[in-house]
Amino acid sequence: MENISFRTTVLPLSDRLFRLALRITMNRAEAEDVVQDTLLRVWEQRGQWEQIDNLEAFAIATCRNRALDLAKRAGRNTKSLDEIENIQLSTFNSQLSLEAREQVSLVRRLMDDLPEMQRTIMLLRDIEGKTYQEIAETLDISETQVKVYLYRARTKIKERIKHENGL
Amino acid sequence: MDYKYIEQLLERYWECQTTLEEEAILRNFFRQEDVPASLLPYRQLFIEEDEIAAEHLGKDFAEKMLQLVGEDASVHVCKARRLTFMRRLRPFYRAAGLVAIMLTIGDAAQQSFNDDDTFASQQVAEQIAIDSLQNITIGQPEQQSAALVTTSTDTLDAMTR
Repeated sequence: MENISFRTTVLPLSDRLFRLALRITMNRAEAEDVVQDTLLRVWEQRGQWEQIDNLEAFAIATCRNRALDLAKRAGRNTKSLDEIENIQLSTFNSQLSLEAREQVSLVRRLMDDLPEMQRTIMLLRDIEGKTYQEIAETLDISETQVKVYLYRARTKIKERIKHENGL
Repeated sequence: MDYKYIEQLLERYWECQTTLEEEAILRNFFRQEDVPASLLPYRQLFIEEDEIAAEHLGKDFAEKMLQLVGEDASVHVCKARRLTFMRRLRPFYRAAGLVAIMLTIGDAAQQSFNDDDTFASQQVAEQIAIDSLQNITIGQPEQQSAALVTTSTDTLDAMTR
């Protein structure tokens, strides 16, 4: 690999890894620690990068494993993100009405209540824009399994939204 | 307005049959304020996903990481500088000047190789010199010209020895 530098090759993955770690640890400080460990580990292994097909997928998988380990060790119930206090709200959301924000919170809770695998796949697809193939490679499962998990996740959310809105 | 297309896309989205491009169309649609009542409940999902996508680490995180790996944060910063048109062309001038110098040197070297004034053998050199002298002496008295040729030949012999 040519012209590798931490700044241009590894550091740009930070926010993506952070969103993933945050959805698993449900804690902003811990998610940041997970990202830090992941980036350092990826950087320390730069001598073997040529043997890695997809560096980003490798980083995501490493980050997920670390976040899961941390959540397990802490014995934390990763059900909700309610404890997160300082999530930065975008300008877009800050312009929404109170009612809309409440509904946003409902959807957020629905998403956070999903089992970890469904939640992670939904994040990688809907937030990070990954293809089914990329997700399958990252999580080391088949594309069919990816679609099955995603289908279950979306269906649950759709049904809950319908139920909440009396549809 | 006909929202049939969006409704169809949304149905395919739930079934995981949409492409990333189609999902981007849905996302853009639900970002707008003017969404029909039948689709409004689903708008929140896409708004929420936009929210999650906007979550990011603080700026100090990058600086901390660069310090940890020993990469100075200021090393790679490039200062922007406004360039005039003439200044932008400066590299071309330099390149053109260099090419001109190289061509001149090459031409001079070639010329020196072509102007080879040595002869293959002493006899050839003598013969050329005698022919040249005879051409010069045309029109001079016969005795004088014969003496000149003889003297010149002797001189050539002495030089070539």
